[in-house]
This record gives sequence, structure tokens and C-alpha cells, in this order.
Amino acid sequence: MKTISLYVDKGTILNKIAPESKIWYVIAAISIPALMGIRWAGIGMIAVSAVLLLYGKVLRRTLPFLGVSGFVLLTVLIIQGMFWWGNETPLFALGPAVFYVEGLRYALGILINIINILMSFCVLILTTKPSDMMENFVRRGFSPRFGYVFISVFQIIPQMTDTMSTITDAQRSRGMETEGSLAVRIKAFIPLIVPVIMSSLINTKERALALEVRGFNSRKKKTFLNEEVKTAADRYIQIALPVLILAAAIWRITQWLA
Amino acid sequence: MKRKLWSLTFNSSTLVLIPAAIGINYLGKLFAGLLKLPLWLDSIGTCIAAVLAGPIVGAICGAANNIIYGLTMDPISTVYALTNIGIGIAVGILAHKGFMKNIKGAIITGLIVGVVAVIISTPLNIIFWGGTTGNIWGDALYAWCASQGMPVWISSGLDELVVDVPDKLAVVLIVFAIMKGLPKNLVSLFHSDEEIESLDHTDDVNKD
Amino acid sequence: MAGIIIEHLKYKYPGTDRLALNDISLSIEEGEFVGIIGRNESGKSSLCQAVAGLIPSFYKGAYGGKVLIGDLEVKKVPVDELCETVGIVFQNPFNQVTGAKATVYEEIAFGLENMGIPKDEMISRIDGAMELLDISRYRDRYPFDLSGGQMQRMAIAGVIAMQPRVIILDEPTSQLDPQGRDEVFQAVQNLCSQGITIILVEHNMEKIAQYSNRVILLDDGRLIDFDSPQRIFSRGDLDQYGVEAPVYTQICKRLGHKMEDTGCYPVTLEEAKTVLRQRKGG
Repeated sequence: MKTISLYVDKGTILNKIAPESKIWYVIAAISIPALMGIRWAGIGMIAVSAVLLLYGKVLRRTLPFLGVSGFVLLTVLIIQGMFWWGNETPLFALGPAVFYVEGLRYALGILINIINILMSFCVLILTTKPSDMMENFVRRGFSPRFGYVFISVFQIIPQMTDTMSTITDAQRSRGMETEGSLAVRIKAFIPLIVPVIMSSLINTKERALALEVRGFNSRKKKTFLNEEVKTAADRYIQIALPVLILAAAIWRITQWLA
Repeated sequence: MKRKLWSLTFNSSTLVLIPAAIGINYLGKLFAGLLKLPLWLDSIGTCIAAVLAGPIVGAICGAANNIIYGLTMDPISTVYALTNIGIGIAVGILAHKGFMKNIKGAIITGLIVGVVAVIISTPLNIIFWGGTTGNIWGDALYAWCASQGMPVWISSGLDELVVDVPDKLAVVLIVFAIMKGLPKNLVSLFHSDEEIESLDHTDDVNKD
Repeated sequence: MAGIIIEHLKYKYPGTDRLALNDISLSIEEGEFVGIIGRNESGKSSLCQAVAGLIPSFYKGAYGGKVLIGDLEVKKVPVDELCETVGIVFQNPFNQVTGAKATVYEEIAFGLENMGIPKDEMISRIDGAMELLDISRYRDRYPFDLSGGQMQRMAIAGVIAMQPRVIILDEPTSQLDPQGRDEVFQAVQNLCSQGITIILVEHNMEKIAQYSNRVILLDDGRLIDFDSPQRIFSRGDLDQYGVEAPVYTQICKRLGHKMEDTGCYPVTLEEAKTVLRQRKGG
């Protein structure tokens, strides 16, 4: 099955608990360190996420995510280390490039924050089937039509990339150059993408028609073929996490008042 | 042209347009990467949706686009949903005002959209990344500005500007070309508020 | 109960001046298999979509006259209710996959979930539809991984599961290879034998001749003729409407061999054989 979803069913408890519980986890993991404003809280959350990911047997699959942001994080470290406005105390120099304690410390804060966000998101997205998540939302009253829009993206994108590789191959076999100077490459972009865009826009009509005749706009209460994804623990998780967030907020307020 | 600008009713065609637009965004990004173009080209679909179906649909495309990127490729990109909402709204309004009718209007649209993107993205860049964008040219400019002692928001804004304005200009011009080539009868499908006219002239006689 | 009556149907797409359907009146009996033929843009798809209620509700535009299915007036019933009476299948099977479901089984359930059908009934309807379309063995396959013919049968199953009394197929095999085409026609014949009224647009005149009880000939939005395939294909002015008779009819026309009972030219291989045998014997 082709989908851009990164979900894999490992049969762990993380696959079985309700998607809403995991969404609460993401919110908590991001907001608690932000509310507390302590670097260690962020590091603590990263550790919690790592344990959960390990337990869900998907820790290794988080690496590509870190890779995507890794390069940008590196530039953050370099640029802030060298040029941050508050830089005063040189730490070390690589040739003419001088790195400062303050800038590096600032960059470290960014690093922790980003990695925390990445890892907590991974807890959700590597263990949750997007359609299960959306079905749960629809059960709670989210519009089924918008639910459809959301889920269909996961399947439509791979279909479009398939079309794209067909076109790329066809254009290449016709001798179109996709390498070389910038002008050559820009010229190549247009004939590659325009046909796919055109056909996908034209196809929207038939797809919309086909959906309408299958009750897409129905105002009846929707029923579901699949059972709801949830466990007995979900109720407690969905109480405990908001309480923790609230506690962090209260702690912060008392800090201010003190 | 008496279409409502802020209509909140969505017909099926409009809803189906949203995933297609997100797919188009993705393809633009993929092709730009494949051809190593110095642009992102990842908002073509959002702009098409905004031109066809108005600012609200453009905004929804922009938001859904980044939420789905966030859930699949790059969680941080979720926060840039705000930028894409801004792009969708700006293009939708300008198209409604007739800017996308000729090439001159399209260029102006591209420039305005680029500036809108910079205004929204810069604070996000500062909050999440300390002001840099990850684009080599933009970040080099940032480093230079910072070394000259300029404030973060100027360095960061310029960093974003040199990347965003050319990108949005290119995107809007591509969208302009595509709109010229789309069949007319397709375009009318996305207007949710059209009425059905009657061709019955003698209907009153045999009413039941 | 589910005969179709069309009275003075007129329709213009939005932003156009031409009548895509121009004063069409006809009636179709329940359980009939009706073919629609005519050149491109003659109004075939428009007529289909008018019967399915998508014209005018989906396109808007300008509409006149009436389409009745049983005692339902199509224009007055929203498409999401009408789809339990009349179903429609389109050309491109790929565009009819919802893109929201992971298996063929779930895909067929899509319409039933929207209609709020209880789960038990949903399951029995899906099983029934899969059996009728002969796709039970693909139950757990990913919808986009099917072949064209399988995908189109899945699309038909998705529509059939809503239990309509009328099924409209608008060039259902034009995007398929010969094998896929035969699979779909076999399936359509199964539907017809269940007493479901079938309306079929098809470019392959041999297939039209083979399956239809009656054939609608359209040109420029007008109803030219509505009669048995034998009479339609025996007309001398077919090329004026951009239609070519089945090869068997063409051969027998060339030879001047008509069928004795109807006085028409044969339209299927079987009929042609009979005529030639009679000639030989006589």
C-alpha cells in the first residue's frame, strides 16, 4: 500500500491507544518545557519521548526526521555561535571563525526545543494510522467531508508522484535535459510539472462527481465499518496530561508572583 | 462576478480541489529539489486553489498542507502553516480583485505575496530557529547583517526576503500560465454560490 | 416502480449558450438495458448525469423539464438521497477510488458509511456487492493496486452496495484493456439479470448491439431516435450522426441481407449467422 504516512503497526500498546491520547502527549511535550522555561525540562521530555519510541519499537525510524532538520540545526549552531548579538565570551576559534559561549548556549536552546518537538511528534505519527485518527475525530463531531480531505492527501500524493516519475522518464527519453545550467533546469521544470497539474485539476471534476453519488454530502449520521481505536487507559491519559500542563502553567505563574 | 469573497460553503469540487492542491504543492517542491533549483516552489497548489475558489479555500489548503507535511516529513514545518494561510488569503483576495487577469497583475501579486510570506515567516524563524532559514544564500546574508550589528529582525527579514520574493514571484507566474490553459467549464465548478436558472416557460400550466 | 420518464428536458452548462440537452422526452421501463450512442459532445454524458441528478445540482446552469424515476422527481431530491435509487459509474476508474480507504472492502463501504447504514447490514451488503461483481478475492487489496478492470468493478460495487434500482454507466470501459472490458461487461450483465435498470454509454457498437434492449441515438443535444438496436442500426443516415453500425450490420447491409421477421439488418454475430443460414437454405 502506497501512502506517505510513516505509520507502521508494530502491535505495541502505542499502536493501540487512542490517537487523541497521543495528540495530548505532543501538546504536553511541547507546552510543558515552554511554560516552565527550563532547559532541563526540554531535555527531560526528549528522554521521555525516546523511551516511548523505544517501547513502540520505532526509535530507529525517528532518525530520518532528525536528519531533515539536522542540517538547519548545524547552520543555527554555526551562525548563532559566531554572530549572535549577545556574544561576548569567545570559547574557541577555527581559523578566523570565533565561536562564543553565549551564542552557542542560545543555539543549544534552539536545538533542544526543535529536537523535543520532533521526537514528540514522532511518538504520534510513527504509531498512528492517519485514517484511524481522523475517524476518531469524525466520531467526536469533526466534519466527515473535511476528514475525507485530510485522509485522501495521504494516498493522493503517492499517486501523483507515480505520475510524475512516468512523466520525468518520458521527457528524459525525449532528450530533455534535467541537468546543466540554471536556465536549462528552469526550462525543464515547466514541461515536467504543467501536465501533472493540469490533469490533476481536470480529474477533480470526476472525483467530486463520484464522491457525490456515494453520499459524500449526506446529512445523515455517519456509521463506521471499523471499530474505534482506544484502550481502557485512554481516559486516564486524557485527564492526566492536561492536568500536568495546567500544573506547569500554575508553577510558572507562582514563579512570576514570587 | 458577483461571487462572494468569504463564502464558507464548500461544494464537493472545492473540497476535492484541496487534496489536489496539496499534491501539487508537494510535486513542485519535489521537482524543484530534483532539478536543484534555488527556489522552493512548494505553494503552486495553494495559489491555484486560492485563485479558483477564493481566499478561504486558499487558506485551508495552506494550513492543511503544512499540517500534513508536519505529520509526514518535517514536524517543524507545521508552524509555517501560518505563512501558507497568509499566502492563500493574499492570492485569493488579489485574484478576486482581478490581479491575476494579466501578466502585470500577476507580477504585482507575486511581489505582494512574497512580502506577506516574509512578514509572517520572519517572527517564526526567530522563535524557532533564532532567525536563520537554512537557505545558504539567505543565511550568508543573515551572517553578514549580524556581523554588522544589525538587529535580529532585520537580518532575519532580509534572509527570508531574498529567498521568498523570487520564489513567490515564480510560483504566481506558473499559476498564471496554468490558469490561462484551464478549460472554462472547469473553473465554474468551484463557485459554490451559483444558482440554477429555469428554462421552463410554460411550467405554470401543468403544475401538480 | 423504477421506470424512468423524461419530459422536455433542456439543459445549458453555466457560461454557455448552447443547449447541451435540447427538449428530450422519452421513457424507460424498469429492468430495461438501454444503450446511448452518438458522437462526442452529442449530450450522452449530460443525459446520464441528468438522470443521476448531478445535472443540475452539481453543475448549476440552466435547466428545464423533468426527469422522473418512479415517483421521484430527480431535480427535487438531493443527490445524497437519490443515490439510493440511481447509481452512476464514470469513465476513469482511477478517479472513482475515494483515496481515503486502505482496502477494497473498506472502499466499498464508503458510501454506506455516509448513508449511516448499520454495521451488520453494511457488511452483508459489501459481501453481496463483491460477489456480484466477482471481486471477493481482492477484498484486502489496496484499491490503487488493482488493474483497470478490477478497479472499475470495485467502483461499480461501491455504487451497487447502495442498492439503487437504476445503474448508469458512462463509457465504463473506454480506459480499459480488452480483458478489463470483458470483465466489466460480464459484471454489467449480471446486474441486469438482477432486474436492475441499466443505462450504458459505449463507443463499441458491437457491445451496444449485443446487450441493449433499446438504444437512444443523440445528436447535438437532441433525441434523434429511441428504438431497438436492429432498427437503430438499420437506419440509412447513421454516419450523419457520427455513428458506425456494428460490423455484422455493415456486412449484411452491403449484401442486402435483412432479417425476415423484423425487416431489419442483423446487429449481432448470432443474428448475422441466422440470416446467412436462411439465405443459404432459401
